[in-house]
Order: sequence, then C-alpha cells, then structure tokens
Amino acid sequence: MSLLTVGTQIGTEFTGKIKTITEERVYSFSGGFPRGPEWPKKTIHTNIDVASRCGLKKRMASGAMFEGYLIELMIDLFGERWLSKGKMTLKFIAQVSPGDTLVAKAIIESKETANSTTKYKLNLWCENQNAQKVVIGSATGWI
Amino acid sequence: MAEKKRADQIRAGEEVERFTFRVTPEFNAAYMEAVEDYHPRYNETTDFGPAAVNPALLIVHSNVTRSPSFYLPEGVAAVHTDEEIEFINPARVGKTFTVSWKVVDWYEKRGRPYQVKQAVIVDEDGLEILKRTITDTYVSGGG
Repeated sequence: MSLLTVGTQIGTEFTGKIKTITEERVYSFSGGFPRGPEWPKKTIHTNIDVASRCGLKKRMASGAMFEGYLIELMIDLFGERWLSKGKMTLKFIAQVSPGDTLVAKAIIESKETANSTTKYKLNLWCENQNAQKVVIGSATGWI
Repeated sequence: MAEKKRADQIRAGEEVERFTFRVTPEFNAAYMEAVEDYHPRYNETTDFGPAAVNPALLIVHSNVTRSPSFYLPEGVAAVHTDEEIEFINPARVGKTFTVSWKVVDWYEKRGRPYQVKQAVIVDEDGLEILKRTITDTYVSGGG
C-alpha cells in the first residue's frame, strides 16, 4: 500500500508522524543492545560530559534516528518496495537533542513515466518544534 | 594485537574492520520503540514477507563507530554531516549481517576534517541489503 499514485501531482506535500526525542529513546537508540551493566554506553548522544569534552554544548541525538523518520515516510509513500530500490541523499544541518519534537516532510519535485513505471523525485526534510529544518535532502522511488 | 588506528586518521583506500551482528525480534523491537515505528511488517510475516529489520537499526549499526577497530581518543567524536543511501533488498529478522567500510575520500574544509566512507551491509546468504556513502567530520574540545 502506497500513498503515491500515478496521478499524484508535482508540488504535493506529505507529512510524517510527529516524533518525540525522549531521553529513553535516545538511550535505546544509542546506548547499545542488549542492556548490560554499563548501559547506556557513554557517547556524545547519551552523556553530557562526553559531549562537553568533545566541544559540544548539548548532547546530540544520532542523525540515524531522524534518518529513520524519513525512511518511514518514504515507505508510507512508495510502499515496502522502496526498501528494494529506494535512494536518498541527506545533509544534516542542525543538532537535535532530547526534548525536541521532529516531523518528516516531503514534497514532489518531479515525476517521469515510462514503460508503465512512474519515477518520483522528492525534496525532503525533518523539522523541529520551531519549524527549523535539521536535515534536508532528496529521495527517488518508483511506483 | 595490532594497535588501533585513530578513526579520524584513516585515509582514502583504507578499510575498517568489519562488524557482524544478528537481529533478534527483541533487538528489532528496541529500535522500533526508539523511532516510534510500530508497523506490523517489523514484527510478523505480512504480504511483504517475513518480519523485516527496522531500517533505522540498519543505519545506526552501519555507522563506522560500530566497527570493532573504531578508536578515537577521549574528547574527540565523529559527527555525521552527509549521507547517500541506496536500499537494495529488505533485511529479515533472524539473519546475521556483516558491515564493511572503506574510506574513499578525506579532505579539510574551513579547518575541519571530513572523511567519506562507503558502507555495505550484506546478510548471511550474501544478499546485499544497502549501500551508504557517509561523510563524517570530527569534533573535539580543542575546537
């Protein structure tokens, strides 16, 4: 099941689910698995002292977390086939910290139909609760 | 045992030690919770096939920090800046995956080092799952 159809127009915008970066989720994502006595592993994502020693003012959530939000949106748009031929290019432009709320968004930039397949190119990004973009990029997929 | 080379000093043409991991249902569930993506395709057999590995788990476990040979001195950290990713085949829960990395470029921009790596994930049957081109910079308390 995919949200995109051959009739979806250039300029159509899509919004993913709202995601909350909690302490527990950052620990789950970047603290290591399984949870042992040293869990969560101390990194710039999970420990303010480690982050400070590396010159960072705050702990940063892993970019892979919000990359995951964009992938989820692409699967919603193209269906699971996107995991077999989807492509994405990203630039991480702002830090994300526990307490932030993010949402993935995408807008259709172009579409091209040939041999009963429609290729879409989308511009995509995640923005935080202040409407600041934290990651930007583009993706392609086919239906 | 050979001395580990600082990750930020690895230059183009050099490879990093491979990382192997098996994804159990519990492992997958931890990452589904971390990114709030509870789609049934990650838990059970659906029209898409057997339970799939959440893509965010694959992303974070193909960051070079997962390599057994990854080493940075205290006060230095890798920060992800850019990414290109190509999905080739869905990854299935219960399989064992191997990640390989090769540094393909290293440059300085505004006094900061940037390292470009290609990462490939392959499952235990030799099936390619995804390829990434990852750019990281390195930050330190010294600036």
